[in-house]
This record gives sequence, structure tokens and C-alpha cells, in this order.
Amino acid sequence: MPTPERFRLDGQVILLTGAGRGLGRAMALAYSDAGARVVGASRTASQLEETAELVAERGGEAISVPTDVTDPEAVESMVAQTVDRFGHVDVLVNNAGGGAAGDGSPLEQLTDEQWRWGIDMNLTSQMLCARAVLPHMAERGSGVIINVASGFGLRGGRDNWMYVSAKAGVVNFTRSLAVSYGPAGVRTNCIAPGIFPHTPEALERWRGGRYIPVGRAGVAWEMGPLAVFLSSDAAAGINGETIAQDGGGLAMIGPTGWAPRVRLTEPT
Amino acid sequence: MSEFIPTPSPEPSEDPFLLTGQAALVVGGGDPLGRAAAVALAEAGADVAVASLRAGPQELVRVNSVANEVWSLGRANAAITLDASNENSVDAAIARTSSELGGLHILVNAADLPVAAPLDETSADDWHAVLTANLLAPALTSRAAARVMKMSGFGRIINVVSILAARGVANTSPYAAAHAGVLAMTRALSQEWSRSGITVNALQVGIYEGQRGFGDNPESVQQLVRMLPAKALVRPDDVGSAVVALAADSGFITGETIAVDGAATARV
Repeated sequence: MPTPERFRLDGQVILLTGAGRGLGRAMALAYSDAGARVVGASRTASQLEETAELVAERGGEAISVPTDVTDPEAVESMVAQTVDRFGHVDVLVNNAGGGAAGDGSPLEQLTDEQWRWGIDMNLTSQMLCARAVLPHMAERGSGVIINVASGFGLRGGRDNWMYVSAKAGVVNFTRSLAVSYGPAGVRTNCIAPGIFPHTPEALERWRGGRYIPVGRAGVAWEMGPLAVFLSSDAAAGINGETIAQDGGGLAMIGPTGWAPRVRLTEPT
Repeated sequence: MSEFIPTPSPEPSEDPFLLTGQAALVVGGGDPLGRAAAVALAEAGADVAVASLRAGPQELVRVNSVANEVWSLGRANAAITLDASNENSVDAAIARTSSELGGLHILVNAADLPVAAPLDETSADDWHAVLTANLLAPALTSRAAARVMKMSGFGRIINVVSILAARGVANTSPYAAAHAGVLAMTRALSQEWSRSGITVNALQVGIYEGQRGFGDNPESVQQLVRMLPAKALVRPDDVGSAVVALAADSGFITGETIAVDGAATARV
């Protein structure tokens, strides 16, 4: 197959959580542009509808399945509704998640409830969705799972507890899924996005990208092609891998722009 | 602190995986991974110069044959040999590429000199040869290419290394050290050129079909395949499509290493 065709997803069905805004919405549009149909899931139905309308405007097809991805029964129902509507699922994107109340405070102030909620939202939710969809994929002998982690899944952060722990869990959960279900034809990979501010105010909080090596923050649409690539036959050799898309942040030690010079001298 | 001018954000393109109008140089184009990269880039629309570090008659046939494949896809092409131990030879190869193809946007370093022997049986000359082909070559080609890329404010450098850069295998110390060196260089250069529009990334490839010295002995391949999660060696075409994905990236992935290894490094 010529290389550009390997990146196409014509006719495929993508089940995408957190599709109502931000990176999820951007991925929905990219999947649609690659020829796929998108089932968007998140808690807020109105945001999902907006995403579906944006997809339709570009000539694609998307439906909304409002779902609380921390609720096992709701997740089972989400997968059942997708299969009812489209007959199968080719790709699951575990994108839902986010900042947790309690992160940003000293550990001794953290409540047990905050810890559980943060882990449920960012790690358990991905397990629930994978568990619900895997029997279906394994039976078909093909499927792709993409888990969205974060740079914080690979590095620690000051006063960051649930988010870093859950996202690190996502990175390693990805590896075990790859090793366990690769033989059944299911590839699992992970994307670790860096700073992708959703609003001008958020961009300002990150000082416009000053401390990111490439000198700018990420723009949501940039994650679309990476998700499409990993979902496609073009990534057939990639399994269990986490790919950072972060403007070079994880490759460095700060401060940004540190460029020492030391002259080569012969020993005297 | 100096005034901060953010890097302009890129605009999405109609087809995120097309490389029409871009010029690429693939070093090591006579080997299976280099050939796959050259053909995949050409299929995606790039013009491709194919270079080899060896100048023997069989190697010339291989490099010309790959350049012919690029030609048959309707793209501009060139076949080049260069001596990695000679700076002038490397600079001349870059100059010839950019003059024959009208620029240089993509550099793929896929040259690979395989060596495997117990350290006790290696000489300093062996180390020099391995480090020259596997580490100095990508350093010098990157240096020369970046001079051209900085002028246009755009470049994609993709270093292809072996899985042995990340996992220890007996008898591979010089080879593994050279490839691990390439990964460290990838991270350092990603920072050095982070404000020049040049991204520097690596593909860390599992043992692949036809790999000289590692993947071409039927008996040891059979033994190896049994141990791999994918139960198969990596297909060079899957490395080619990953090269296209990185070459086409919008510029927020840099300093990153992507394993193309069928989950081999995902497992304990």
C-alpha cells in the first residue's frame, strides 16, 4: 500500500472520550478528516453536540454518547451503543481526564476522597473503557487503543499528586495492554501532550510559551495528526509506546535556553 | 532577560501527511531501513537524495537502485556516496543534495554499521570505525544540514537507531554505545536548534527483517522471534511510515525517541 494511504482511516469507527472540547474536539476533527466516523463521549452533552456539528460542517459523521467514564455501567453502555449504531469499534481514544481538586496543595492537606477522585478520573476511567472494548476488539482480531497521558506522567511536579500518579499509571497500563493484547491484534499506545492552553488566559499563564524550548505552546489541532498516525496502519510497528508532544520540554533540563560553553583543553 | 518573541504557531494543512515540494536526504539509503524511508518519503511526495557511507561497487548498485525507485515514483532524486570520517565529504554531500533538489528540509540518518564481538576482542580501531559510522556520521550530516535548514527556518532531522541503544545485549558494547550516543545527541540538538524551526527526533527500531548482522541469520532470528511480544521482526516499511509521520509533524514533537519495535521494550 502506498505510504499516504496507510495513514487513512476510511470507514473506521473511533470511540473518543472527552470529545467535547480542547484536544478531544481537535482529535475528533482530525479523525473525521482522515475518513473515520466518530463517537464522542463525555459528561456534557451540549459540548459533544457542538463537536458533532463541527464534524458535520466538514462533511464528516459524528454522534454523541454522553457518558460518565468513571461509572462502569455507563462505560459498558457507551460501548454497546457504539456497536449498536456502527457495528464495531476500530479505535478507542482514552482522552477524558483532567486536573484534580487537591492537586496544588501540600500532601498533608489532601483528603482520601480527593485522592480517589483524581485517580478514578485519570486512571480508572481508562481501565474501564479499555476493559469494556477489548473483548470486542480481541474477537475481531484488530483494534487500536490510544491513551492520553501527560508530560506529568513521566516527570514529577511540585504539589502534584493524583494527576502525576494517575498519568504515570496510564503510561505503564499502556505497556501491559500492548504486551497482553498485541498477540490478539490490538495495538495500544500513549500520547503525552505538553502545554496546550485552551484559552488566551491559559496561554498567558504559561507566559506565551516562553519556557517551552520551541518558544511556543502547542495548538490543539497539532495533536490530531499524531492520533491519526497512531491509529492507522502506518503505525503498525509501534506498540506499547508513549510519545511526548511537548515542544522539547521533556528532553531538557531547565532553564530553557541554557547553552554552556566549555573549551576543550589538553591536560597539563 | 531578553525580550521573548513567541515562535509563530503553524497552520493546519489540507493533508497532514503529504510532503509535496520538500527535499529529503536519506543517509544509509542502501540499507533496508534507509531504502524504506526513501521510498516512503517519495510516496508522500518528497524529492529524495539517497546517500551511502560505503563506496564499494555493490553498494553503488544498491544506492542507485533506490534512487531509481524514487525516480519511478516521479520525484527528483540523487545517488550520493560520502565518507563519514571526512568533514569536507559530508559537507559536499549536503551541498549536492540542496543544489540538485533545490533545498533540504528532511534529513534521515539511517546508516548502520553492524558489529558484534566481546569487548575483549575489540580493538581501538574497531571502536573508531563503529563510532564513525554510527555516531560521527549523523553528527556531521546534522551539522551540515542544519546550516541549510536554518536559512529557511525549517528542518526535520530523524535519526534511526537500534533497540540496542536502550537494552543491553552481550557482544554489542561499541554498537550499543554509538546508538545510545545518537539518542543523547538527539535530545541535545533538539534544544540547540529549538528556536530555528528544526526538530530533531529518533526512531528506535527493534531487530528488523534483513538487518545485517542481527536479523539475517535464520537460526538466531527464529530464536529471537519466539521471545518477542509481536512474534515477528520489525518490517522496514513500518519504519518508513514512521519517518514520514515525523517528517510531516507540525513541529511540536522534538527531542523525542519513538520505539518502533512491536512492544519489545514495553515488556520486562
